[in-house]
Amino acid sequence: MKKLLIACVLLCLLCVPAMADETLEGKTYTIMDADGKVLTHFCGAPDVGDEYIAGDNGHYRIVAVDHTTLQAQTESLGAYVLPDVSWLKENAQPVTAQRRAVAMYCTHSDESYTPTDGKSSDEQRGGIYDVAEAYKKALEDEGMTVYYSDETHHPHDAGAYRRSRATAVRLVEQGVDAVMDIHRDGIEDPESYEGKIDGEEMTRVRLLVGRSNQNAAANKAFAAQIKAVADEMYPGLIKDIYIGKGTYNQDILPQAVLLEFGTYTNNKEDVLASTGHMARVMNKTLYGGVSGAAPVQKQETENDGSWTGVVWLAVGVIAVIAVYAFVSSGSGKGAMQQMKNTFRELGGSVTGKKKE
Amino acid sequence: MNVGMTVLAVASVLVLFGLGQRVLDKMHLTDRAALILMGVIFFGGLLPDIVLGQVSINIGGALAPVGVCLYLLFRADTKGEVFRALIGSALTAGAVFLLGRVMPDEPERIIFDPNYVYGIAGGVIAYLLGRSRRGAFICGVLGVLGADIAVAVMNRMNGIQQMLYLGSAGAMDVVVLSGFLAVLLSELAGEILERISRGKEPAREEAVLHPAKGGKQK
Repeated sequence: MKKLLIACVLLCLLCVPAMADETLEGKTYTIMDADGKVLTHFCGAPDVGDEYIAGDNGHYRIVAVDHTTLQAQTESLGAYVLPDVSWLKENAQPVTAQRRAVAMYCTHSDESYTPTDGKSSDEQRGGIYDVAEAYKKALEDEGMTVYYSDETHHPHDAGAYRRSRATAVRLVEQGVDAVMDIHRDGIEDPESYEGKIDGEEMTRVRLLVGRSNQNAAANKAFAAQIKAVADEMYPGLIKDIYIGKGTYNQDILPQAVLLEFGTYTNNKEDVLASTGHMARVMNKTLYGGVSGAAPVQKQETENDGSWTGVVWLAVGVIAVIAVYAFVSSGSGKGAMQQMKNTFRELGGSVTGKKKE
Repeated sequence: MNVGMTVLAVASVLVLFGLGQRVLDKMHLTDRAALILMGVIFFGGLLPDIVLGQVSINIGGALAPVGVCLYLLFRADTKGEVFRALIGSALTAGAVFLLGRVMPDEPERIIFDPNYVYGIAGGVIAYLLGRSRRGAFICGVLGVLGADIAVAVMNRMNGIQQMLYLGSAGAMDVVVLSGFLAVLLSELAGEILERISRGKEPAREEAVLHPAKGGKQK
């Protein structure tokens, strides 16, 4: 009974930090550089250590967050060097057809646009699905096969990522080159997303990548590649890149990204207007933009973050095994022996050499 | 996908496979049985779901882990162990449900990925209730499934028609990951506490050489 009580208390304690953070919901934070210049606004509190790549490629890390004034201070990490996309200007050679496929889904199924949908959140099916479907059509117009899921993942809470994970995995199993989670932002100011491309009113797109998974470096490199291509084709289309602490199910595929098409106070028609441009950018990013079906033409020499991910994965596994071995054996020698045993047992069970 | 990305994807799968094999190895199973079971979880996860009305159940992501849980419950030494595992699962389901509801939901606000928190909750609750690795696995798996069912009931009550997917991400589903994470956490906590109580005294030779078969499990 005593243990049960302790477990119940612990359960409540587990929720306390999250509940404390809940009080911040709906508040917009201002992100500033070291000189006090406003960089951008975030829906909810950013966290120390999060990174931000601004539209002008200024690279910042959040060093302090003041929850009273709703301001976050950053330190400059210099200019973020985007990948070289000079190949965009070269004429790509037509090649034989090859399957080009991407996947997309919406984790937060209720997200809507107040001016056109009448509310910011629709508990049945949000306006975000209209954006996703327009983007899907635009991608198909570029010659891509799009595996799109219109499954809903209600309610809109942190558990939505648990529910959308099944959707994301089922889509990735189709053998796609990239997977995209379509969202809209929750900040109030519509102007922060408003823009014009070729004289046409439209909203801009924020890219989000997580850094709590083995694909973090590859995901970030993918986002940087998208921005580099967009900056060349449609300057201003990509608002910025935010690198947060979550995973957003991006551990499933190295080329995964979360896109925020405008915010809830934007007119959905303006958001829809950006989907065609975004599709053309994605096509060029993934396939070099050869018209019709074609394999990848873009340079493969750029660091796409994948090998960094492999190294971190190996280091992580070895570190965990080493810590466990050291804790359980209590000495360096014992830890080495235990690590050897662990790898031997694992290898032996695969090859069948180990006695059971 | 280029070579680097392929290697990264394959390495990720291998790490998950190896991790799972080591975890299942501690569940009253032989090395070989654990390996076969991991195969069932991986390949079963790729098979089409079993659909029963508004519920979709994955073989590798739900049926196989639940099967292990049932096996562990039937092989439990005492009724108390079964009771603790079931109570722990109910508590974990409550924790997962609550955490899903109250943790930050917007991507910019997430400070710790929710998909990792559920396994931690299962591991902590199971360890507190019975210091049991096997109990941790049961709590991690049944806790997440219980929370998913609770959300489906809540949605239905709110008039939202939505398919309930149980373990549909296969080996990468949060059900499986939470089970593994709960065991690892409980194992690490157990080793640390055991080390503290043992002091500088060396561990028993048997436990060092054969940790999977040793008497360290409870």
